[in-house]
Amino acid sequence: MSKFTKEMIDNYANKLLIGLTDEENEIVLNEFETIEGRMNLINEIDGLSDVEPMHYPYIIESTPRSGHIIKNDSVEDLLKNSDKVSDREIEVPKVVG
Amino acid sequence: MDSVILDLQEKLKKGELTPEILINETLGNSKVVQDNFNPFVTICDNVSISDSDSILSGIPYVAKDNLSTKDILSTGSSNTLKDYVPFFDATVIERLKKKGAVLVGKSAMDELGLGGTGTTCHTGVTLNPWDKSRITGGSSSGSACLVASGVVPFALGSDTGDSIRKPAAFCGIVGYKPSYGAISRFGLFPFASSLDHVGVLTRTVKDAAIVVDNVVGIDENDMTSIDLKPNLSESLTNDIKGKKLFYIENMLDLSKYEESDELKKIFTEFNKTVEIARSLGALVEGVTIDQNLLNAIFPIYQCISCAEATSNDSNLTGIIFGPRGEGDNYIEMIKDHRTKGFCSLIKRRFIIGSYVLQKENQEKYFLNAKRVRRLLVNKFNELFETYDALIMPASGSIAPKLEEINEVINGAGTMNEVLENYMAIGNFGGYPSITIPNGFVNSMPIGINLTGKVMDDANVLNIAYTLESNMEYRNQIAKEVK
Repeated sequence: MSKFTKEMIDNYANKLLIGLTDEENEIVLNEFETIEGRMNLINEIDGLSDVEPMHYPYIIESTPRSGHIIKNDSVEDLLKNSDKVSDREIEVPKVVG
Repeated sequence: MDSVILDLQEKLKKGELTPEILINETLGNSKVVQDNFNPFVTICDNVSISDSDSILSGIPYVAKDNLSTKDILSTGSSNTLKDYVPFFDATVIERLKKKGAVLVGKSAMDELGLGGTGTTCHTGVTLNPWDKSRITGGSSSGSACLVASGVVPFALGSDTGDSIRKPAAFCGIVGYKPSYGAISRFGLFPFASSLDHVGVLTRTVKDAAIVVDNVVGIDENDMTSIDLKPNLSESLTNDIKGKKLFYIENMLDLSKYEESDELKKIFTEFNKTVEIARSLGALVEGVTIDQNLLNAIFPIYQCISCAEATSNDSNLTGIIFGPRGEGDNYIEMIKDHRTKGFCSLIKRRFIIGSYVLQKENQEKYFLNAKRVRRLLVNKFNELFETYDALIMPASGSIAPKLEEINEVINGAGTMNEVLENYMAIGNFGGYPSITIPNGFVNSMPIGINLTGKVMDDANVLNIAYTLESNMEYRNQIAKEVK
């Protein structure tokens, strides 16, 4: 029997603020044994505890940017892709109080 | 002719063609190809042609829709960004603009880059111009289709696992992903930042070199950009005498696969190309790599890419950009936006990311995936100390039929899975990697892939150029278009 449940899948999705239909949940549920099996292939490699995780392909020497003045993006540009704008601000439902 | 771009440039200089005629023809062809294969998200009807003495001046091109283009719709082929119009250009777009290249459209892709079929674009499926019943591969599906159909001589793509190189193989063209950071990623919608590369799709190796020469270099907006010198096109000497190539012997053992006439033919074509390389003076030999390491390639890719995507795409809320979701509070609004906006496949990928990032799974899956990534990269770095490049088939199949596409995950750890996904090694190590056409199987194009040492792009491209020069598949236009 699978150790995964519909509720677990919904929980993983909910943490990302994504909702699933029952059909989507069922597909994921059916896939998860395979996914876990696949992930376990990673753990079949010996001696992993001594290996440093690799976060980027290689070390890139970066130097601080040169100090010069750059033009700010205009407020109008920043707002033009939002559906709800009030004056110079993005409008959202009341968050506190 | 080894360069479509140089050929067009010569005609422009001689006055046999004007930039206006070239662009108008391109736009006309774009509409015909769009009606047949659906590769565009946007066709730019109003383009401006600037004067420049650059080799790319007046040359039309297409950019994948995950590259930001100022005042031009850039959707990442996602409903979450279906109306998004950036107010700035990605660095690669800006550099091409300065060189006078003319952007004629934005190409369709698998949603946000998280697919490999070209079937999950919010504007529909992109069809293969060699056979409309087949996929192009992805995620740079529209770019591959438009280059293969002859609409443009080059297109920009992005590659996180093989998203330039696989569709290039399925569409019979060249797909080149330079070393990690060689082309700035500023303005690219991120999928998995530690694996993402910007690259190019063309119909000749020389054109790939020309385009990349014109866009490489440090970008202070991308702290991972590297200083790859623009000398690729000058490095194409057509001489590989003394070069050392290797293939992964245990991946080319037919007995390890389900019986397949198609795979047998692909290996036969590959072996012919190996013989060509040998006849040109290169040493080509097989190397055996620990099967457990090879089996881990796709799990590593899936683990790291899904986890990074989960984080990178958390800004798709519908608040700052994108269609606003419905709800009584901002949490409900964001959830509504994301639930309605993402396709089913993307949601499932995100859930994998969420799963491996759970507190109890991070060490076991996410960090161990990164550890095995290092072991693989160490192994290939060691091999690249001896060899100039890895040479392998780019895929174990021709472009699948649309009805064969099944995105449901099954069958972990098979050799087919390894062969279909091994090119992600190029992303793990940031290696220069190029797919070139390698003939036909069952009337569909196939490709070979060459991958080499970081920053050794010139060497890898020269090997590809030399092989291309000694085969008959340069500058192919797809048969459905002919």
